[in-house]
Amino acid sequence: MTADAPPVVVVDESQDSAPPPSGVRVWLSRHPLAAYAIRRVGLYFVELWGALTIAFFFFRLIPGDPIQTLIQTLQQNYMYNQQASTELIARYQQEFGLTGNLFSQYLKYMEKLVLHGDLGPSLINYPTPAQDVILRALPWTIGLLGISAVLAWIFGVILGAIAGWRRGKLGSAIATNLSIALSHVPYFFVALILVYIFAYSLGVLPARSAYDSNITPGLSLEFIGSVLKYGLLPGLSIVIIGTFSWILSTRMLMVPVLGEDYLVYAEAKGLKGWRILTRYALRNCYLPQITAFGISLGFIFNGNVLVEQLFNYPGLGTTLVTAIQQLDFNTILGVTNIAIFSVLTAVLLLDLLLPLLDPRVKYWK
Amino acid sequence: MNNVSESVLEINGLEVVYSTNRGDVKAVRGIDLDVRRGEILGIAGESGSGKSTLAVALLRLLKAPGKVTGGSVVFNPAGRSPVDLLKVHGEELRVLRWSSLSYLPQGSMSSLNPVMRVQDQFKDVILEHAPDRRNSLHEMIPRLLAQVGLEPRVAKMYPHELSGGMKQRVLMAIAVALEPDLVIADEPTTALDVTIQRVILQSLADLRTDFGVTLMVISHDMGVHAQLADRVAVMYEGELVEVGDVRQVFKDPRDPYTRQLIESIPKLGRRAS
Repeated sequence: MTADAPPVVVVDESQDSAPPPSGVRVWLSRHPLAAYAIRRVGLYFVELWGALTIAFFFFRLIPGDPIQTLIQTLQQNYMYNQQASTELIARYQQEFGLTGNLFSQYLKYMEKLVLHGDLGPSLINYPTPAQDVILRALPWTIGLLGISAVLAWIFGVILGAIAGWRRGKLGSAIATNLSIALSHVPYFFVALILVYIFAYSLGVLPARSAYDSNITPGLSLEFIGSVLKYGLLPGLSIVIIGTFSWILSTRMLMVPVLGEDYLVYAEAKGLKGWRILTRYALRNCYLPQITAFGISLGFIFNGNVLVEQLFNYPGLGTTLVTAIQQLDFNTILGVTNIAIFSVLTAVLLLDLLLPLLDPRVKYWK
Repeated sequence: MNNVSESVLEINGLEVVYSTNRGDVKAVRGIDLDVRRGEILGIAGESGSGKSTLAVALLRLLKAPGKVTGGSVVFNPAGRSPVDLLKVHGEELRVLRWSSLSYLPQGSMSSLNPVMRVQDQFKDVILEHAPDRRNSLHEMIPRLLAQVGLEPRVAKMYPHELSGGMKQRVLMAIAVALEPDLVIADEPTTALDVTIQRVILQSLADLRTDFGVTLMVISHDMGVHAQLADRVAVMYEGELVEVGDVRQVFKDPRDPYTRQLIESIPKLGRRAS
């Protein structure tokens, strides 16, 4: 079409030139993303090992003799008045992995953990293993906190994006100031207000336990309905505060992006407002929210101690508090290990996911 | 001044102010200017002369504290009835954009969305204003890229993978994608090196030949106007001091300010004083 076409701009293609010697290296240099993933997963295992090791030695520093506590508990529970024999104490020490020096205890603990997924017996629920105690609480915590966290994130990011987009408008100002005021109110405070209104004054929602104790747990519609009903108040208290804090942070990320040249350009293009908001503004600022969300999902596995205690919810938080009170060190360590595992795994998944979400993110060379 | 139908744009007494704590600052003080169909009109002037404010006001992209305080801008798009650009709002304005009135920003600015492939930045604007072209996109995008001297594979690239000159070409190709009546180019060669500048100017001239678009080119660089424009309008302190045929203005500038601007062009073999 053009009489004399302008010179064609040549795209540099010499990315992988000099062929490396060995086969594996050739493959890795051809697949930088795979090489990065392998390196990142390797790092993950190093991190995991380091954190579990630190946790193990740290918990051995807790003062107090867990075996004495156990024997006292047994004596009280079974009206057992005799002094414990040295053989009995030795057997318990053997069972709880407290024999030998600290290093051999550590090796034994890691061996059981890695090869058998065994955390050792729980002190207060002896002889039930700690992993069973934790697994009993885990679904409740994941269900309550996981769903609440996801909902809070979705509501918060959408509302925060709109609040940033419509900055200067009355609605946005109200949402922003409300968020500033409410985002740092503790969950349990909102929980108490909700309990006061819905459980105490109106009496429409239950405020204790996770389901109606008259219903047998199972996959019945009745039981699921009961779980949802009992989970509403604790869930709501987390969602409300969580939403406000996500609104605030999303708005904060959104506002600087609105001044970018590509937003003016998108407006000049005559695109629809909703499209500019999602494809141009939000798309360029939501990455930190993904990272923050992943990390917050990881922390869910700690349980939310205050909310679970307040609603007497049988989750990990409640388990952890009871375990600490009773010096149940295998359970405490187990909950800690799960938290370590979940936070590190969440960060790993995010690191692998981010390059797919933003073309500018490149960890590899 | 001109026959009405021959003008794409008729600016009458346009005034733009920026409100500050110390009162209003007049950036554009009553400008009268016609843009003729098919011409390349250069807007010259030093920094702060109001030429960019003029462009932004015409594109209706003026943001607070900027404010249009007077005048009218009659736009005559082909096949549509004339509209006053300063009086259209909302959906009416949005529909007018790009298909009739398009914008070519400075390539060194981050006008391309960093997280979208080049082809998607063509696609969204084409589909927004001409949804019936969905099926011809695969042919259209490489053709537009070729028009500005880019390979088809650029379509699959992200903005951060392009050089400044390539970004400028992509922006040019997007600007003419819908064959608009008027393209307003704001400093299209600024921050590019001299060789690339020349090529970009040539491509702009070709676009006029190929697409018959009317171009309004804002630049502080008199060299750009000498090479590209048919007519040039010189702005100083928010006012138009001279409008005329580019040869005539360069040969015999009437206004002393225009003379100074022309003399500011560096010449080979002359020492800087």
